[in-house]
Amino acid sequence: MGNIWIIIKTLFELLNVEVVVPPLTSKKTLDLGTKISPESACLPLKINLGNYIEAAREGADTIAITGGFGPCRFGYYGELQRQILEDAGYSYDVVILEPPDGSMLGLLKRIRYLAGTQNSWGRIMKAIRFAYQKSVFIDRVEDLIHAARPRLENKQETELLYQRALNSLASTMSYRGLEEVIRSVQAEISERQAAQNYLTGSESAEPLRIGIVGEIYTILDPFSSADIEKQLGLLGVEVDRSIYLSSWVGKHVFLGLAQGYRSMDSYPKLAKPYLAHFVGGHGQETVGSTVKFIQKGFDGIIQLLPLTCMPEIVAAGILPRIQEDYNVPVMSLIVDEHTGRAGIQTRLEAFVDLLERSRCLKEKVSKETVPKETVPLGRMC
Amino acid sequence: VRIGFPRALYYFDFYPFWAGFFYSLDIEFVTSQPTHRGIMESGLKMADDETCLPVKLFVGHIGSLKNVDYIFLPRMVSVEEKTYLCPKLLGIPESILSAINRDIPIITVTINWREGQNRVLKALAAFGIELGKGEILIRNAFKEALKWQAFYEELRRSGKDFQESIDLCERSFAFLSGNISYKLLKSKKSKENQDPGDFRPRIALVGHAYLINEQYANLDLVNKLKNNVDLLLIEEAEAEVIENSLKGLRKKLFWSDSKKILGAGSSYVDDETVDGIIYLSCFGCGTDSMSQDILARRARKAHKPYMVITLDEHSGEAGLVTRIEAFLDMIFRRKDNENNFSAYGEYMDNY
Repeated sequence: MGNIWIIIKTLFELLNVEVVVPPLTSKKTLDLGTKISPESACLPLKINLGNYIEAAREGADTIAITGGFGPCRFGYYGELQRQILEDAGYSYDVVILEPPDGSMLGLLKRIRYLAGTQNSWGRIMKAIRFAYQKSVFIDRVEDLIHAARPRLENKQETELLYQRALNSLASTMSYRGLEEVIRSVQAEISERQAAQNYLTGSESAEPLRIGIVGEIYTILDPFSSADIEKQLGLLGVEVDRSIYLSSWVGKHVFLGLAQGYRSMDSYPKLAKPYLAHFVGGHGQETVGSTVKFIQKGFDGIIQLLPLTCMPEIVAAGILPRIQEDYNVPVMSLIVDEHTGRAGIQTRLEAFVDLLERSRCLKEKVSKETVPKETVPLGRMC
Repeated sequence: VRIGFPRALYYFDFYPFWAGFFYSLDIEFVTSQPTHRGIMESGLKMADDETCLPVKLFVGHIGSLKNVDYIFLPRMVSVEEKTYLCPKLLGIPESILSAINRDIPIITVTINWREGQNRVLKALAAFGIELGKGEILIRNAFKEALKWQAFYEELRRSGKDFQESIDLCERSFAFLSGNISYKLLKSKKSKENQDPGDFRPRIALVGHAYLINEQYANLDLVNKLKNNVDLLLIEEAEAEVIENSLKGLRKKLFWSDSKKILGAGSSYVDDETVDGIIYLSCFGCGTDSMSQDILARRARKAHKPYMVITLDEHSGEAGLVTRIEAFLDMIFRRKDNENNFSAYGEYMDNY
């Protein structure tokens, strides 16, 4: 799931547990997973299975997966994946990180099992805290990059900067190192921004802003979303998303004690007029964050969901009403193992065109007092 | 007041409960017509593309409710401890508001048994204020509703089919004013008198109640099967049996429907007298994608004939009939050749 591997890797390395990081998710991973998955299961399950198979080839023998008690399907992934892998001939030990039948002791036992007997509880807590801190820093870097992508001219440099930052975050094992990474990213971005302003002699125009909401796995995992953030960045759009890794970690691993980089607490309240009850997964958060983004003045909203995702289908049924009430375009993009990048790209381009046009119209109306002139399509701006 | 209730989705599980509730409150409670072409088409047109067939039918049924003062769309979150219903039911009514014509006001109440009966009563009491009924009336209505539901479930377990049970339930409560004639509950289906030489396979049909009892959408699958086989339905399974056969799972399922399907389904897998299992699912069903897979694995290990039928809005009758015939042919052949073991002592389907 996107950059979560960095955090998990950090956590287990601090505990001296050997971690196998499977190759980044690719088409091949998905094919491997799809072959042994139930056909109508959702995309994340198929990708997970593909990852496990690739990890098994590199010697992994235990899977740690978080759990849940419904009603989203993810809560049952652990048990189903265990059965699938067993039948497919992989001897994996699956540890579901959740309090079984509500027993905290059961959860602690499972953590102890994963961590081995060498680690004291103090050390385990310390490792978890550091891993969490790292997730906050990853989110901060991502946020900086989201802002930099549409504003900096040299797109490739930005991507390189992002990769470099992630690599150094992955290898850093101290708080000071994390701070260091953020500082250098900030410095480089502002330096290049200044150089660019000097060359062009003006500040760059404010980019369009799009909020990405939806199912957590698809919005955090660049492979499943066909790199939607990067693609939008290349189209000159600044993106923000409803769920950040650290907020999820804070809410589910720390049981809400840690807020994460961006708190999700306000979402259910904002969603209330449209969806008064939680529906599992992040359905209510999707609705709430859509309202939040629109109130913050975003130009458009994109909802991402895997095919047949139950909570997000509920949300998708509600978003048209928000679109109507606030008059801000909302688009739902559905992804599955047959999704083609070109298809997504075309739809993104069309959506961005639509937003640009409506922004131009708005500006025109505010500038000219007599706008009664018909302008042929395409010459609007 | 006349309250309308769509004949779809949770109707097939909880109609007796709501019928009893409103009957006791002396409020007229009407349902839409059984699904027909018009309802299905309007549902398909109005509902969200991505959602499943039962929800689309639900939207169609809401559209077909005329001459009522309110439409009643409860939010059924959970009906027993530690489980949920499908997330799509949790999202009702909001998720379908944009799909329906809203001339008729909608009333709703949240039913959540997760936190016990008192919470349900509290929610119903608040709902009662909306209806203009006091708390004592609501309490009685709730008791009555539970009685109806229990009686209905008892009837189903005794082997009565869906429509028969609903009718009997309404008749014995509404017209005999609570004097339930327990004679209705005959003992378990006795095997019909038949030629001993005439083999009639025993087939179990598993799946959500709103697919199995939805005669129009499932192309009358139940009666088609009943003409040829002895049919077992999950509603006939005892709660104990369901609980017992779920023990092989390392983690408990958290959807009540899936629990029922998988529990009863697994008991059929272990039951020697059951010749085959048919799983009726619909396209895009999230809970089925998990429970169907687990059941299929169990059936495969036990070498039990197993077939999945996936319904969607394009299901054609000829295709369905062909598949049922093929499945039954396979079972007959299996019966005929039962003693023909391979020389290696293994089943052919291992390869």
